[in-house]
Amino acid sequence: MVVMIGLANGMISQMINNGTGLVTGQIQIHSPQYLPDRSVYETLGSHPNDVESLLGIIERDPAVIAAAPRVFGGGLVSSGAATFPAILMGIDPAREVEVSRIAVMKEGRLPLTGSNEIALGSTLMDWLETNLNDELVLVAPAADGSLGNDLFTVVGIMESGIPEIDGSYVLLPIDVLQSLIALQPMRIHEIVAHIDDPWDAQLATDRISIELQRDGYAVDVAAWTSLRPELREYAQLASGTQWILAVIVFSMAIFGVANTMIMATFERRREFALMLALGAAPSGIIRSVLSEAFALGLLSLAAGVVLTFPILVWWHHFPLDLSAVFGGFEIVGTFVKPVLKTEYPWAMIFFTAFALLLTVVTAALYPAVRAARLAPADVLTGR
Amino acid sequence: MSYTSPAGNFDMPRLLKFVVATIACACFAAPSAQGQTAREIVDRVDQLLRGRSSTGSIRMDIVTEHWSRTLEMRIWSLGTEYSLIRLTAPVRDAGMTTLKAGDDIWNYLPRVDRAIRVPPSLMGSSWMGSHFTNDDLVKESRIIDDYDIEIAFEGLRNGVEVWEFVLTPKPEAAVVWGSIVEEVRQNDMMPLWANYYDEDGNLARTITFSNFTMMGDRLVPALMTVQPVDKPEESTSISYEDLQFDIDITEDFFSLRQLRGGS
Repeated sequence: MVVMIGLANGMISQMINNGTGLVTGQIQIHSPQYLPDRSVYETLGSHPNDVESLLGIIERDPAVIAAAPRVFGGGLVSSGAATFPAILMGIDPAREVEVSRIAVMKEGRLPLTGSNEIALGSTLMDWLETNLNDELVLVAPAADGSLGNDLFTVVGIMESGIPEIDGSYVLLPIDVLQSLIALQPMRIHEIVAHIDDPWDAQLATDRISIELQRDGYAVDVAAWTSLRPELREYAQLASGTQWILAVIVFSMAIFGVANTMIMATFERRREFALMLALGAAPSGIIRSVLSEAFALGLLSLAAGVVLTFPILVWWHHFPLDLSAVFGGFEIVGTFVKPVLKTEYPWAMIFFTAFALLLTVVTAALYPAVRAARLAPADVLTGR
Repeated sequence: MSYTSPAGNFDMPRLLKFVVATIACACFAAPSAQGQTAREIVDRVDQLLRGRSSTGSIRMDIVTEHWSRTLEMRIWSLGTEYSLIRLTAPVRDAGMTTLKAGDDIWNYLPRVDRAIRVPPSLMGSSWMGSHFTNDDLVKESRIIDDYDIEIAFEGLRNGVEVWEFVLTPKPEAAVVWGSIVEEVRQNDMMPLWANYYDEDGNLARTITFSNFTMMGDRLVPALMTVQPVDKPEESTSISYEDLQFDIDITEDFFSLRQLRGGS
């Protein structure tokens, strides 16, 4: 059961890492009015050094590995007679690769700062029937009411496995997008922070929020758990299901162990009768049976650890990737590979160890009481 | 992930429709036929639009929460199938041109010297942040095919004899408005205002017509102002500087070559 839950946790962990690591990140910082409408006017950075200062404060948090600024715009990408709507995402290439997998190219490279270069999702590339080094037109409504438009060279192709991402995202240098949509160079829409353990995001969010407020920044800091509630709810549902399963398994185990202990004490009733006849107290008999059960439980636990722990460690460090056979699948908007990787379910490990011992002792209680109530004369005379 | 843009999505069709609507207004100026029913009046206006050509100069003033700008443009149209709009000001946008030929909409961007085709999914958005919807721009059907038309009021209002028409969509009609109410002056058949209601019956926007001026051989409302109800501080006004009707123009004019070239 521990291995099974370890595998399930591995799958959930992969889902959360993929879901937050692709674009969302584990923590986002916006203008308080930016979400949910994502208005181009709701920006961070009212002073020239604000963004650098914000990045510095965020990266000082011990949980944060890296942070990156972003600018977003809606527009059209066109090649020949083919034109499609697109989400234009302005990135700092050097920082973005540290915080998201969308910046990891399947082919080519990320656009360079200051150049009219773009990277597209593979689906969008197919729709536009374009290739690396081809020239495309981007058109985007600008913040001053005009219509930004320019020519760009395709230098990278990304592939996330999520059709909505691969068919809509266009990455370009943040300064170039700011120029295209007439946004001042100091203004950005989002800062994304990457942390190692997604479940630490809320604590880190609280810390960063306090720090930013202390420095006078009126910004909104949000963890992935509020940005992607469906991911959090799915993980909580899966976790809850595991606990229910554990309770069912141990409830059934109680009856099995109790049956075994009843048979074992029945076979030893003459021994218990003799002990009682020689003056042993009934409570001593109960303690004896319970101690034996506890000892058996410890032995079982040791056997379980010996059998389970190597598998947990093995599949944790050398996961079995079945994606070549089964491909991948999508869970709540996140691409997940069928990889048999275990995560150490420490809470469940301690719970099952405790539950195992409690189960055997509880199951042994009734047989112990029965043994303590034996009538020695009747048992020893065979009546 | 969805994004709102300052100027909405890139889309010229709404303007084209509005231009067509303007010509419709001009057609109201045709000699009135006494005793006609509401349906006959509206249908006559609708029919008058077809098979005719026009050209003119327009000034568009757009006021939004974040910016205000003025566009000047030259327009040409042939029936409801063909239209060409070329921006002449501001300088930064001069030369941007939109061509509607049948069901296709193309935009020419002089900065990059490319013409891009507007995808069908974006034909319903605003153009340059103006406040027009393109409900029926790309549709070629007649208004009387989509709407039941009734006279809700007929008589003196504010010292002027007017009709108030109520246009209610037919059940099978693919239109976005729940209903349209329009007031038309009886003596010269000039529209005064039109209110557009959503499907829940809430007023969504108001268009007012004013500055009635003779252009070509017709009286037209030379100024139209669109006011979205949910953003009362915003508006788009279109004023006609000149208009000519039944000009000598053919389908060849509305070509990709013309889109890229000068007028």
